[in-house]
Amino acid sequence: MVQLTNVVKTFQRGAEVITVLDGLNVTIAEGSFEALMGPSGSGKSTLLNLVAGLDRATSGVVNVAGQDLTTMTDGDLAAFRARYIGFIFQSYNLMPVLTALENVELPLLLTKIPSADRKKRAATALRVVGLEDRANHYPRMLSGGQEQRVAIARAIVNDPKIIVADEPTGDLDRKSADQILALLEKLNKDFKKTIVMVTHDPEAASHARVTHHLNKGAFQ
Amino acid sequence: MVPISYSVRNLMVRKATTGATALGIGLVVFVFASVLMLGAGLERAMGRSGSPDVAIVLRAGSDAETSSGIELPAAGLVTASPEVVARRNGRPDAVGEVIGILSLDKVGEAGVSNVQVRGVPEDVYQFRPGVRIVAGRAAAPGSDEVVVGAAIRARFRGTNLGQSFEIKKNRMVRVVGIFEDRGSSFESEVWGDIDTVRSAFGREALVSSVRVRLRSPGHFDAFRRSIESNPQLGLTVKRESVYYEELAQGTTMFLTILGMMIAFFFAAGAMIGAMITMHASVAQRSREIGTLRALGFSRGKILASFLFESVVLSLLGGAVGAAASLAMGLVRFNLVNFATFSEIVFTFVPTPSIVLSSLVFAGLMGLLGGFFPAVRAARMNVLDALRA
Repeated sequence: MVQLTNVVKTFQRGAEVITVLDGLNVTIAEGSFEALMGPSGSGKSTLLNLVAGLDRATSGVVNVAGQDLTTMTDGDLAAFRARYIGFIFQSYNLMPVLTALENVELPLLLTKIPSADRKKRAATALRVVGLEDRANHYPRMLSGGQEQRVAIARAIVNDPKIIVADEPTGDLDRKSADQILALLEKLNKDFKKTIVMVTHDPEAASHARVTHHLNKGAFQ
Repeated sequence: MVPISYSVRNLMVRKATTGATALGIGLVVFVFASVLMLGAGLERAMGRSGSPDVAIVLRAGSDAETSSGIELPAAGLVTASPEVVARRNGRPDAVGEVIGILSLDKVGEAGVSNVQVRGVPEDVYQFRPGVRIVAGRAAAPGSDEVVVGAAIRARFRGTNLGQSFEIKKNRMVRVVGIFEDRGSSFESEVWGDIDTVRSAFGREALVSSVRVRLRSPGHFDAFRRSIESNPQLGLTVKRESVYYEELAQGTTMFLTILGMMIAFFFAAGAMIGAMITMHASVAQRSREIGTLRALGFSRGKILASFLFESVVLSLLGGAVGAAASLAMGLVRFNLVNFATFSEIVFTFVPTPSIVLSSLVFAGLMGLLGGFFPAVRAARMNVLDALRA
């Protein structure tokens, strides 16, 4: 499902070249739930961004869902993300002016699905996360945990192959965090979604089947 | 596509900024629409004065009736042309008139202004059936009585019904009637008996112009050829509608250029306003833009969304401005016509095409003002935008 071969990622800061990922090789199998842990600057978010098609490797090959991301144009990457990736962000990143249902419907606007079907699918996704009664609420009317559940509904609504989660419980209290993690486990087990999650929290990582520890751009 | 509701609601949540920007654009559209309405008003006042089947004859080289003079025998030859319609009594449907310019004191403000006085024959109402006496009565032929156009009634000392003013030193005329002519420029004139005006302005044995009604508008060319080809007459022939268009040209152009310049500078200001608003909006919503891009919305879709938002903002202002400009339809406007140096009174005329062009103008301002902020939004790096 995800195959990274000799992936190098460097950043230029002034005259200095900083190597964030240094010849990384990793394979994530379909249906897996894997956590990426490591201190700040270890390269875990960079790795996640490469997998999600948000960033490009300096060298090496990034192959996700049978697609070689290294040769794709900007527009191709956008289309790839729309089709294969579901995103969960630390700060939920919902559109404040749209209702829960409209937020969930957003990724479907990039498909040719008719409006009525889009609404139905968005409502189904909200039911999966247990928020069908909050469909017409705006994000400001929801708790942090509820907002993240709406974000999860948005991430699964177009039935992506892979869900990438960047610190999905970072802004939540323990109880809400546990609910979110339980939901991710359910998506993995019941809906066979491949999940790649970056986290600082060992408790969160314990829900994953595999945990990778990164340090200075390499696996430990 | 990014949902329309996203753009519209983003405008709604920032009520104060949206309101202030829209108001700025509304003001520009108000000025823009008013200038167009002024032009339309002037055109109507002048255009309504001319009929397509009427030709006007002037001395060769004269641009206006005020500077023209035709001797009576020549005038007789003109009206005898076969292209001129004959009335039931066998006489030609034509009218020779004398024009004079009079300086009158304004009422309610200091200073004088020029007023055009037209010496008309008794059968003038037959020639101009659109003219109606709306108060008092028509002036008696051969008398010192005059009728005053509704547009200048009571605007000058002695020009209201029943009042008198001097047409020449120690020569008083009395206002016995007020007339209307569908808002045409005749309504800014004083009409008196032709002989009274002739003697007052020293134009004995002359008429300023001759107007003839042709058998059809198609007879114009033949009529013109027959008059202009006679070198002894030394006359020039124009369609009446063309004559008034030419008279209004200088004034209309001056008004339009002045108004458009004002609108242009206002527009530049309002566009900068829209640009600042949209830039602020883009900066505030960086993370939302990053999220939309992450979800798969292309740069083009982001660009379109912000451009749409800017156009909606401008149209909102434009609608307010255009609606407010309709109220200008109630305002009367007077200015000096450059061609005749006399005052002409007219109203702002709102038309559907003016409202439409005002909205298009507003939309254009939104498009231009929103362009750079929208490009900035579209060009954002996804990761930088997400971290904002």
